[in-house]
Amino acid sequence: MIEQIRKVWQRRELLWYIVKLQMKAENKNKLLGFAWSFLDPLLLLLVYVVLVGMIFGRGGPQFPILLFVSLISWRWFTSSLTRSVTSVTSKLGLVKSVRFPLAILPLSGIIVGFFDWLFGFVILVPMLFIFEASFTVNVLWLPVLLLIQFIGTVGTCLIFAVVGTYLSDLGNIIQFLIRLGFYLSPILYSVTDMIESERLAMLYMVLNPFAGLLESYKNIVIRGVPPTEYALVGAAVACVVFLIGLWYFSRDEFKLVKAI
Amino acid sequence: MIKVSDLGIKFKMGKRQRSRVFTFLFDRSRNRQRPSGEFWALRHVNFTVERGETVGVIGRNGSGKSTLLRVIAGIYPPDEGEVIIEGEVSTLFGLGTGFNAELSGRDNIYLDGIMIGLTKNQVDGIIDGIIEFAELGDFIDVPVRTYSSGMRSRLGFAIAIHSDKDIVLIDEIMSAGDAAFRQKAEAEMNRIMGEKTVLLVSHNMYTIEEFASKVIWLNKGVMAAMGEPKEVIGQYLAASNVKKPPPDLE
Repeated sequence: MIEQIRKVWQRRELLWYIVKLQMKAENKNKLLGFAWSFLDPLLLLLVYVVLVGMIFGRGGPQFPILLFVSLISWRWFTSSLTRSVTSVTSKLGLVKSVRFPLAILPLSGIIVGFFDWLFGFVILVPMLFIFEASFTVNVLWLPVLLLIQFIGTVGTCLIFAVVGTYLSDLGNIIQFLIRLGFYLSPILYSVTDMIESERLAMLYMVLNPFAGLLESYKNIVIRGVPPTEYALVGAAVACVVFLIGLWYFSRDEFKLVKAI
Repeated sequence: MIKVSDLGIKFKMGKRQRSRVFTFLFDRSRNRQRPSGEFWALRHVNFTVERGETVGVIGRNGSGKSTLLRVIAGIYPPDEGEVIIEGEVSTLFGLGTGFNAELSGRDNIYLDGIMIGLTKNQVDGIIDGIIEFAELGDFIDVPVRTYSSGMRSRLGFAIAIHSDKDIVLIDEIMSAGDAAFRQKAEAEMNRIMGEKTVLLVSHNMYTIEEFASKVIWLNKGVMAAMGEPKEVIGQYLAASNVKKPPPDLE
């Protein structure tokens, strides 16, 4: 498994190039090109602000930024997952022409997703001033949280890349799971608003490893307080999933080439 | 040098290989009576290609020629036997599927070059030669999906020949170009012959006879013959012609 990491690291130039090509290919033939990287999350934000803020009259004054910081992070995770399911089958030509570490394929999707996160963050910064977020030194936790999310996403995507190659139905299943996960995670709401019982809240945060992470993003960027302790649940789950993913992918890598 | 001993490559029949977890969960009852749907795309293949030698591979469609090249490129690991390769292997992009159709020819050259382990600077150094050789002109900056099959083949051949690897795998890309390009390609072949180890797959017996010093005839995944080009090609053609007549159409 360490061998797998070493192989990918050796081919980092290839990884980087595939990321660049993927971003280029996704924005080709579009009139607005890269502007969509900014427009996509903004329009999505608008939809939810209309839905929650105006129609349901909930959310409070800082709702747009609370929503936005969790939305871009959630989107990083889900877009990586969606890409990973078809990451091997969609690159059939490459996979059958040259030998290279296949883990580069799901990994490149994750990095492309991270750039979308960065574009989203660039939009978020001026919004933080408009909606008067509290800036504190706690924002320095950001790289740590991103790293936890990255590790967990890599693990999940490695597993989904293998299963998705064997089983095309996964593409349909995953869309449903992502939607369900969206409503079950504290994106449109915050845990403290929804669940009054402290024990229930605790149970929820332990059962949904992503919840601690999302609440921590809100804490450090907007509320100006340290991450919640439940981010540790996320970190632990991320590490376990990473190891499982790495093991599973390394074991099946060669079988994948023959399966497609 | 390429040394292949008792090589066997096995595929599972059916749509796709299932993971064991999947079989366990959904497929348990049916799996018991289902025959093991395996077939050997290659089996008991033995040969050696010396450094600087050009070896031709012939055989009917589906006889395992492309699979053999993929094994040598390291894409399929052997299920049986052993493959020893000394030197670096070029690319199989000529198979035509390797190009990313949405990207321009130029981007595809970079992609392919970096895939086979060149650095971006190294590709910078050879890209002009590739574009000129492939005679693509202004087409180099439009998406590959707009290319004719001849243009794709020329690009594939140009990349394979310019990548400067010790072992060059050529799969049926010389025959697709027009007469002028063929002549140029043949001149290029003559230039690298003796210097590089070449494995040449083709249905064009003239090409094989002209360049190969040895020919391997694959039939249904096993080696039907190996040896002098003239002799083996003769046997192969004879075997193909003396087929059973087609079944009655009723």
